[in-house]
Amino acid sequence: MNDAPPIHVDGLTKRFGALTAVDDLHLAVVPGEVYGLLGPNGAGKTTTIRALMGFIGPSAGSVSLLGGHARELRIRQRVGYVGGDVLLDRGLRVDNLLSWYASLRDGVSRARIDELCEHLELDTSRKIGQLSTGNRQKVAIVQAFMHDPDVLILDEPTAGLDPLLQRSVLRMVRERREAGTSILYSSHTLPEVEQIADRVGILRNGILVQEDTIENLRDIARQRLELRFSGDVPGQVLDEVEGVSSVEVDGHTAHVVVDGSVAALVDRLAGQGVERIVSHDDDLEDIFFEYYQDGDSADGARDDGHRATETEPVDGPSSEEAAS
Amino acid sequence: MVEEMPEGVLEMMGAADGLTTPAGYLNSQLYSNVFPIVLLIFGISAAAWSIAGSEREGTLESLLANPVHRWRVALERLTGIALLLAVLTFVATALLAALRSPFELDDLGIGALTAAGVATFLLALLFTGITYAIGAATGSKGWAIAGGAGLATATYVLFGLSSLVDFFENVRWASPWYWLLQPSPLADGWTFQAIGAPLLVVVPVAAIGTALFTRRDLT
Repeated sequence: MNDAPPIHVDGLTKRFGALTAVDDLHLAVVPGEVYGLLGPNGAGKTTTIRALMGFIGPSAGSVSLLGGHARELRIRQRVGYVGGDVLLDRGLRVDNLLSWYASLRDGVSRARIDELCEHLELDTSRKIGQLSTGNRQKVAIVQAFMHDPDVLILDEPTAGLDPLLQRSVLRMVRERREAGTSILYSSHTLPEVEQIADRVGILRNGILVQEDTIENLRDIARQRLELRFSGDVPGQVLDEVEGVSSVEVDGHTAHVVVDGSVAALVDRLAGQGVERIVSHDDDLEDIFFEYYQDGDSADGARDDGHRATETEPVDGPSSEEAAS
Repeated sequence: MVEEMPEGVLEMMGAADGLTTPAGYLNSQLYSNVFPIVLLIFGISAAAWSIAGSEREGTLESLLANPVHRWRVALERLTGIALLLAVLTFVATALLAALRSPFELDDLGIGALTAAGVATFLLALLFTGITYAIGAATGSKGWAIAGGAGLATATYVLFGLSSLVDFFENVRWASPWYWLLQPSPLADGWTFQAIGAPLLVVVPVAAIGTALFTRRDLT
């Protein structure tokens, strides 16, 4: 029983009526590992997480945390959870909610709560209903970390936080990883997961289409860059650069799509008067276009995750601006 | 004029004892109308929120991520609502007892008022418990309110019509309003049907709702 990974999803299937939200999902997170669960909204991330937390039961397969199930109190005692759309009782003051939640657990010290609130610059005397989205998110993070959990389940934990606070949260996550906590971290953007995850699984329509280390995923990830030149874009400078799959020039600006590393492109641009590089890689469908290009005809295309990367999408969501 | 009213109309007003006695008057003016309805409005809305409402709000899930049993959260909330109902009942009964003399209702003893208060509390608790149980079992606030308030209204009408229509008279035993008002604890004290019957229904209903809540998916 102790050999089971602390976070284990074994053949999980969850149906809501005719909709299959998660289909035969397998994943495991070992101690001291951050697993990034990546997928667009509606891919099944939250369903997987709610099944792990015992809020919903599987239609088939099983989930386990720390060798048991989240329905057992002794398991939840050691689990920290930040839900997707955080909703805490609006009428309560922050410190009242945190003391209440702490009282449901053993051995959470007031000092630890204060330390976390201070770290995140959270004003505990205000009512939760009066807080901004970001500050409410902080409350959710404090309550998830205050008991130094052995398992952390984080559903888009930095949503609504400014970049500075996002970094604070990522630092807290890394601290827990150092302490041996198993962490499931869901997100719909690659850059966020890239900073924190050791391994990444990509969910699409409830199916894990790819699971790999972050290094390997970087090799196939697509980046959309906007290059602002000081003058007109020099002719031919962007021709036949390794990794560049499409270029569109518009006066001083070039829109470039790169598959994998941008190293060759940056080498080529040296001394060409590039004033500004803007990255537009927030859109997961865009980054992993090969997994999503058949998004509209999902039923017939469940195995397309292994398709060759050379395929240029013709009708995919990423092709609108790409002129190859 | 009152004596000329058909018996059915008097019963529908909750005044089978007649409007001219203190007990009959209070039954018609208070115990069959305002008092239980105020308690019901409070109890049903609180019960609909307790599970289904907080579930839709999203706060229940945050709470249940802590090491606390679902049944414990559910039963503590139901208990809290029952206590608040009891406080409301106590305040209303105490006011009534204090105002007996100015309103020349001295014939009513504290014992009778207490019995009527407890019976009214139990009637409200019954429909509150039904609302709670439907919300706990389904997670739907709409169904919970519809079930609790709908049953309260339907059984009220059933009881009201039972003195006018034979069919309803044969089934009036099923109405908690019949248990409360006929015979009334105000006149007859601690009767089984006013005190025991609501408890016999509400306890298993709440238990079943709680049991289903611990097993189902949160919405």
